[in-house]
Amino acid sequence: MFEFLVRRAVISVITLFVASLVVFTGVRMIPGDPARVLAGSDADDAGLEAIREKYGLKDPVPVQYARWVGLAIRGDLGESIRTRQSVAFTVARKLPITIELACFAILIAVGIAIPAGVFAAVRRNSAWDVVTSAISLCGVSIPNFWLGIMLIMFFSVRLGWLPASGFVPWWEDPVANVQRMLMPSVVLGTALAAVLMRQTRNAMIEVLSADYIRTARAKGLADRAVVFRHAIRNGLIPVVTILGLQMGALIGGAVVTEQIFVVPGFGRLIVEAVFTRDYPLVQGVVLITASAYVVVNLLVDISYTVLNPRITRPGAA
Amino acid sequence: MSAPAAGPAASAVWPLGRHAGATGEGRLARAWRRLRRRPASVAGAVIVLAFVVVALGAPWIAPADPVHADWKLIRKAPTWAHPFGTDDLGRDNFSRVVWGSRISMQAGVLAVLLAMAIGVPIGLVAGFYRGTLDQLVMRLTDAWLAFPFLILAIGLVTILGPSLTNATIAIGVGATPTWVRLTRGLVLATREEDYVQGARALGAGDLRLMARHLIPNIASALLVQATVSIPTAIIAEAVLSFLGLGVQPPAPSWGTMLNAAQQFLDSAPWMAWWPGAAIFVLTLSFNLAGDGLRDVLDPKDY
Repeated sequence: MFEFLVRRAVISVITLFVASLVVFTGVRMIPGDPARVLAGSDADDAGLEAIREKYGLKDPVPVQYARWVGLAIRGDLGESIRTRQSVAFTVARKLPITIELACFAILIAVGIAIPAGVFAAVRRNSAWDVVTSAISLCGVSIPNFWLGIMLIMFFSVRLGWLPASGFVPWWEDPVANVQRMLMPSVVLGTALAAVLMRQTRNAMIEVLSADYIRTARAKGLADRAVVFRHAIRNGLIPVVTILGLQMGALIGGAVVTEQIFVVPGFGRLIVEAVFTRDYPLVQGVVLITASAYVVVNLLVDISYTVLNPRITRPGAA
Repeated sequence: MSAPAAGPAASAVWPLGRHAGATGEGRLARAWRRLRRRPASVAGAVIVLAFVVVALGAPWIAPADPVHADWKLIRKAPTWAHPFGTDDLGRDNFSRVVWGSRISMQAGVLAVLLAMAIGVPIGLVAGFYRGTLDQLVMRLTDAWLAFPFLILAIGLVTILGPSLTNATIAIGVGATPTWVRLTRGLVLATREEDYVQGARALGAGDLRLMARHLIPNIASALLVQATVSIPTAIIAEAVLSFLGLGVQPPAPSWGTMLNAAQQFLDSAPWMAWWPGAAIFVLTLSFNLAGDGLRDVLDPKDY
């Protein structure tokens, strides 16, 4: 198992290395002088010179790359063209808002999907199973931004129950915070819930037909005990992996959700950065996202191995 | 997405392939029997076809010019003359939704074709030759997959500039690693099959093995993947256009229409209903049809 973890960690590092190469090359593919790209169009000659100095833009490209990665590892991702604040600082300020949103969304998704999925598997082919499958299919198919617009139209415009947009930090006013986070979390959580429900159902069906479950049933254990004591524990292991794999979709969903509900988080930051052609910010944000994605998936793999010690993966990459 | 159930799925022969074993029942009869069991999938396929007809026939179906503004008709509620109402510039919403289906279909299909055109050959070669080349390709796809789909697309649009073509390219490039992995997995499983080894023993060259024996036998799995990828690409185009990174106004895209509708949820809610409903129905139908297709083409299930 230890060998597998080391292998997996090495692969993650390689992945990050290649990903950073892609980001580095991407910014240099933008037409024009890279110093001008990184400094913004209103930079004066001194500003341009400072940028050239910092990133050594006169040096050979591999040297430039090494310097850029070196700075990035120490947390220096350059500064935003628009605000002149450091990219790392800007991201650190926006990230907690998106993390809160994502946690709420995951909570909603897990809270709905796992009970519904387990129940659908236990009562396979019942009316309940058919209905949850149908709802799950709708959840995958509904475009989240349209769902968001419809929710605003119904709950904010028509009924006036919830504020349509904005953000209040929870330490200022917890109630207002939850009121404003509720609809965005539902929008972000819907697709995740749909995917999780399907996976939970499939995993549980597989587990419920396993020999040890039959043995437990043959012993005369009640259905409820079989499901809760034996099946769920094993059935939910693959679901952990799905959560990790869905992180990319969650980040993409956050971009859209924050745009609709005017939540000033990480996702809105990306869109603003693109529109203001704030390349250092885009570069930093993309690099951070990719790193987070790789790290989360590494952690998921590790937890997966720990949860299920039977897994050995000889030679499988 | 990793190789779907490598062993058993591949050892039972994929029915689209030339090696499909003749069973007592004809292939078409079996497909029909399975289809009848899944009326929802048939309905999905019919709706997808209807959207294709609407997309192709947009100039004849749309009653009005989708970009013709009329200041006397700003944000009018649905009437017989304008069944979906009019938008903030007095354009006929129905005509815009009809033309929007053309943009969505075009973006969805072309993006998936692009992803296949890049991904399938790379996966084929990696899975066929294995070794160092395979390792290299796999590490590259890992890195590629490290960028969440939408973030990669946004990054690419930033470099290329916002337009329908660039959004399509960005979506296609973003979807490519899935195709590399899927193809590689299928090829790894298929290349060990007796008939492939037999053909090799008979002196078939690499190209012939790939073209005559591998591709036909993984084709149906790729077809199913394409059916479920197109709706994802359609939603991605709508999202990029919604964010202002795809189709630019005044062109009628469902995403840009929803973006405009957002400001008038109070006074003109119909502007938001129809483009979103169109995306939802089309995506749902594609998914239903895809499920059915998987069922019909899957040799494991009788």
